[in-house]
Amino acid sequence: MSEIVEPAVPGLFVADEHGARVLGSKCEACGTPYFPKVPVCHNPACPGSRMEPCGFGGRGVVWSYSVANFAPPAPHKYDKPFRPYAIGVVDLASGLRLVGQIVDPPEAVTVGAAVELVIEPLYHEGGKTFTTWKFKLV
Amino acid sequence: MQEVAVLGVGLHRFGKSGDAIVGNKSVTELCRHAVDMALSDAGISWRQVQAVAAASSRFSGGKGWGLNGNDVVEDLGSTGVPVYNLSAGCAAGGNAFNVGYSLVAGGVHDLVLVVGGEVMPKGMIQTSGTEEVTDPEFLRQRCVGMPGPAFWATLARRRMHEFGTTEEQMAKVTVKARQCSVGNPFARFQKAVSLEEVMNSPYVSNPLRLFEICPVSNGAAATILCSAQKARQFTGKPVWVASSAVATLGFDDTLPRNLAGPVPNGPSFHTEVMTAVRKAFERAGVGPRELSFVEMQDNTCYYELAYPEEWGLCEPGEAQYLLEAGETLPTGRMPINPSGGFVSFGEATTAMGVFQIVEATWQLRGQSGGRQVPGAKLGLAQTNGLGGNATAAILKR
Repeated sequence: MSEIVEPAVPGLFVADEHGARVLGSKCEACGTPYFPKVPVCHNPACPGSRMEPCGFGGRGVVWSYSVANFAPPAPHKYDKPFRPYAIGVVDLASGLRLVGQIVDPPEAVTVGAAVELVIEPLYHEGGKTFTTWKFKLV
Repeated sequence: MQEVAVLGVGLHRFGKSGDAIVGNKSVTELCRHAVDMALSDAGISWRQVQAVAAASSRFSGGKGWGLNGNDVVEDLGSTGVPVYNLSAGCAAGGNAFNVGYSLVAGGVHDLVLVVGGEVMPKGMIQTSGTEEVTDPEFLRQRCVGMPGPAFWATLARRRMHEFGTTEEQMAKVTVKARQCSVGNPFARFQKAVSLEEVMNSPYVSNPLRLFEICPVSNGAAATILCSAQKARQFTGKPVWVASSAVATLGFDDTLPRNLAGPVPNGPSFHTEVMTAVRKAFERAGVGPRELSFVEMQDNTCYYELAYPEEWGLCEPGEAQYLLEAGETLPTGRMPINPSGGFVSFGEATTAMGVFQIVEATWQLRGQSGGRQVPGAKLGLAQTNGLGGNATAAILKR
């Protein structure tokens, strides 16, 4: 029996032959990146919104991180028993500062560490595996 | 613009549902206690109040619509006064104060009640109120799982990296805060804690520990604001509002509040707080180093180190050494949260902006007992809340 894998929220990320990416947008007029997608640019100094879809993935650097030592309240979902995880704020080389769980043990994470974006399981429910974007130390 | 005075203040001691302090009191009962105390302190009756500015709660009372000011008016007696219910997350009390101030300063009313009160649910505050995939906060919680303290822990970790701040130094903020609250009859926690006790408390979100993060509390605070003309009828020594400002965050804010943003070129600050505080300084015509004391939003000990630096009270990276030298105590040269702060009171979210005005007023009147800042002349009160809201007010005598 093959495992049924679904995104925790559809349409936010992909992993294909080009690698793992979150699906956002970028304003072609002022260069501001967004995730998730926005229909118009929010930059008050932007000369005129020109939004294009844009994927963000690849490598980045941990700007800082925290640890969830206790399970967050709903609407977060997780596999029991709860295991503490690190949450990274990562400056991607592609220009996006992105928040995400780090798959490595919290003790292994440091500020300034190099990471890459991956798509990994977040929780299991009803016989299905639900995935999200995370970071992995490289 | 008219001058605005704080004529009366009142507070219900903070506590936890079911304890000996607040028991099972409703938010209306807590507010009534605080309002009665403020009216009596001002020397006026409820029927003299011309308008009410109230903080809207998401957690208690307000008929589920944040109509907390209407609850207060019904309870005290429906006199038909205008009611303004202000919603700004944890900054709602500060926002209500600003609206009360503006009504008096603008000459619309000359005797206004500002009130905030809470009965809080147990445990961590759930930041996302909806299950909408179009809500970035829902996505952040479902796809990442970032409990409230994780935002503060991220900033604390970054500070450790940038300034070499240690976990012990952060724990010392709590030791100092609880030292201030000893003998404060309104604080929920009135006992000192040792560095060992703080360091032995479990991590909630590493590097922040249980004793370094404010819990939620029940409580209420009220203040009566009036014009200079009214103030002179009632008192010879009023406390004056030197300025009151409100701001929201700027597009250039790069703190990780949502899922993502642009990678910044420089350092990251709380832009909404900086804007509100700078406006408050500008309008009061004073500088950050002229303050006698600050009552700031210390949801976690990190802020007692970061905010004084962001606002120019001291140099970047200096706050931890001022703390260790005792300079942030009421008797030091940069007193921070002489009340004991959120860490000693717990956060009754929408009451906090008003609670700070109450403490600042007592400080400026010289009524703060063992936590009194000697010769206090000028105090800053500051809040910030979800949505990128911030408020700042400067009081003087």
